[in-house]
Amino acid sequence: MAAPSAAGLRRRLRAWLPRLTQVRWSRYNPSFLEPEVNKELYQKPLEELSEEEKKKLELKAVQPIKAAPPSVSSSVFSDPMISKFTNMMMKDGNKVLARSLMAQTLEAIKRKQLEKYHKAPEDEKEAIECNPYVIFHQALKNCQPIIGLSSITRGGKTYQVPVPLKDNRKRFLAMKWLITECRENKNRRTFMPEKLSQELLQAFNNEGPIIKKKHVLHKMAEANRAYAHFRWW
Amino acid sequence: TSRLIYTTTAVQRKNVGASGPEKYTEAFIKKQIEEFNLGKRHLANMMGEDPETFTQEDIDRAIAYLFPSGLFDKQARPMMKHPSEIFPEQRKIQWGEDGRPFHFLFYTGKQSYYSLMHETYEKLLSVQKYQDQLTAQDLPPQKEKRNLAGSRWLTKIELEEMLLEKLSDNDYLRFIQLLKKLMTLPCGDMEEKYIQKFTKEVPAQLQKVVIEPLKYDERGVAFSTGEGIRKTAKATATVYDNGTGKITVNGIDILHYFPVLQDREQLLFPFQFLGRVGKHDMICTVSGGGRSAQAGAIRLASAKALRSFVTEKEVEFMRQAGLLTVDPRVKERKKPGQEGARRKFTWKKR
Repeated sequence: MAAPSAAGLRRRLRAWLPRLTQVRWSRYNPSFLEPEVNKELYQKPLEELSEEEKKKLELKAVQPIKAAPPSVSSSVFSDPMISKFTNMMMKDGNKVLARSLMAQTLEAIKRKQLEKYHKAPEDEKEAIECNPYVIFHQALKNCQPIIGLSSITRGGKTYQVPVPLKDNRKRFLAMKWLITECRENKNRRTFMPEKLSQELLQAFNNEGPIIKKKHVLHKMAEANRAYAHFRWW
Repeated sequence: TSRLIYTTTAVQRKNVGASGPEKYTEAFIKKQIEEFNLGKRHLANMMGEDPETFTQEDIDRAIAYLFPSGLFDKQARPMMKHPSEIFPEQRKIQWGEDGRPFHFLFYTGKQSYYSLMHETYEKLLSVQKYQDQLTAQDLPPQKEKRNLAGSRWLTKIELEEMLLEKLSDNDYLRFIQLLKKLMTLPCGDMEEKYIQKFTKEVPAQLQKVVIEPLKYDERGVAFSTGEGIRKTAKATATVYDNGTGKITVNGIDILHYFPVLQDREQLLFPFQFLGRVGKHDMICTVSGGGRSAQAGAIRLASAKALRSFVTEKEVEFMRQAGLLTVDPRVKERKKPGQEGARRKFTWKKR
């Protein structure tokens, strides 16, 4: 699944690949740092910061900083995970449609949870989670696989080797599975927000096809445990 | 006796590329410098100026006047500069009359690079020895905090100029790694000077920007203007104090001009960041670009205008949030032989 990349060699390989120029370049000078949009971090007084944060602050004071992208804002409603998910759902650059679908999904989740909340007896009312953002985050966390498979060729044969995944990769896989599941396995008549909200609620409760896919992946990794020593990174 | 040697015409022909770039002797360079100085005095005489106080800028102006050129490339126009700027610095011949090289690392091919690496590593070892001595005497190692925020390492090109030798990316990275390792050890002043040779000062960014003071209009309300660009869109914004939070774009309310929520979020971003959402009024004009570009341009313009209303610390916070930087990303040009900027034509096997 994930291409092999060693921690120590990566830096050297990046510059060393022969006859290959860097394709992934950016209009910014490499000395530019990423912007920090969260308002609360700036309101913390100086004493509460740890050593690392103080060093970072000093560095930030001198280095130039990139412009904040248009999908990010300091309001309470913008969430990096949700923006990432919206971008992945987007087709042909139609951000308006993707955002409206996302909004409708969150609304659908809220409605379903409220329905359950009003129907439930008094003692169970506190256990029902109504905040759609919390449900989204928890569902994604439940869908993330811990270990993945990578194909390594040894002596002509290709083996599927279990490999620990990085955080980025886990998040990406969870989101990708959600979106492909909703696009392929739905009835022609149901809309995307409805199907997505269904899947998210199922994932929140640790049931449903995506959780099953995650368990299948884990079982395959467990089955191929014997080849784990093929990994060299 | 004579032997018949078989050669081909290709071997007999002189290999022009093998000797490398043209090599200048020291005498040649000296002559060029003398000619330059003489020419400078002649030029000063011609222009009616004093030959003693004729600076390089005067020379440039004189040449541009005497030899006007419409060429776009500045390097292609006639120029008169000191020979050290025109002729690239070259190494003297590295071997003596008997053919024996002077430097002991000559046969590595990159003698100055390897000698530099050796020197740096020796310094590292000496620092470690010093540290061990201190720990043997039970004295704590001195940690002097160097301000690394105000300096950057030399780039690969600058290092190449310093060593007069071509480096590969790998070599450069290794050297920088070694320097960083040297810096992380608690080392004393002796290494500081050595490391400073390979660092350059980065001036603090904020000192260049001048924040304009507030202006007051007829009603006595304070206002301030700002300009912003994003892709092809240009925007100007005037932010008024004591307002209700109304924002007008090109005479139209934002609710009608920007039907998409994302754009309105971007417009309100600077105000929300500073906590002044309902306190300012804004009137802006924008032209060019698309929907998202116009929103980004207005955001930058409003952030620049808000600088005058706000303390210096908050201006720094705005800068660190990325509100005050011009977004340099523009549409990438289409290349010949490809369908778009990145997309290639369909690959056909035959």
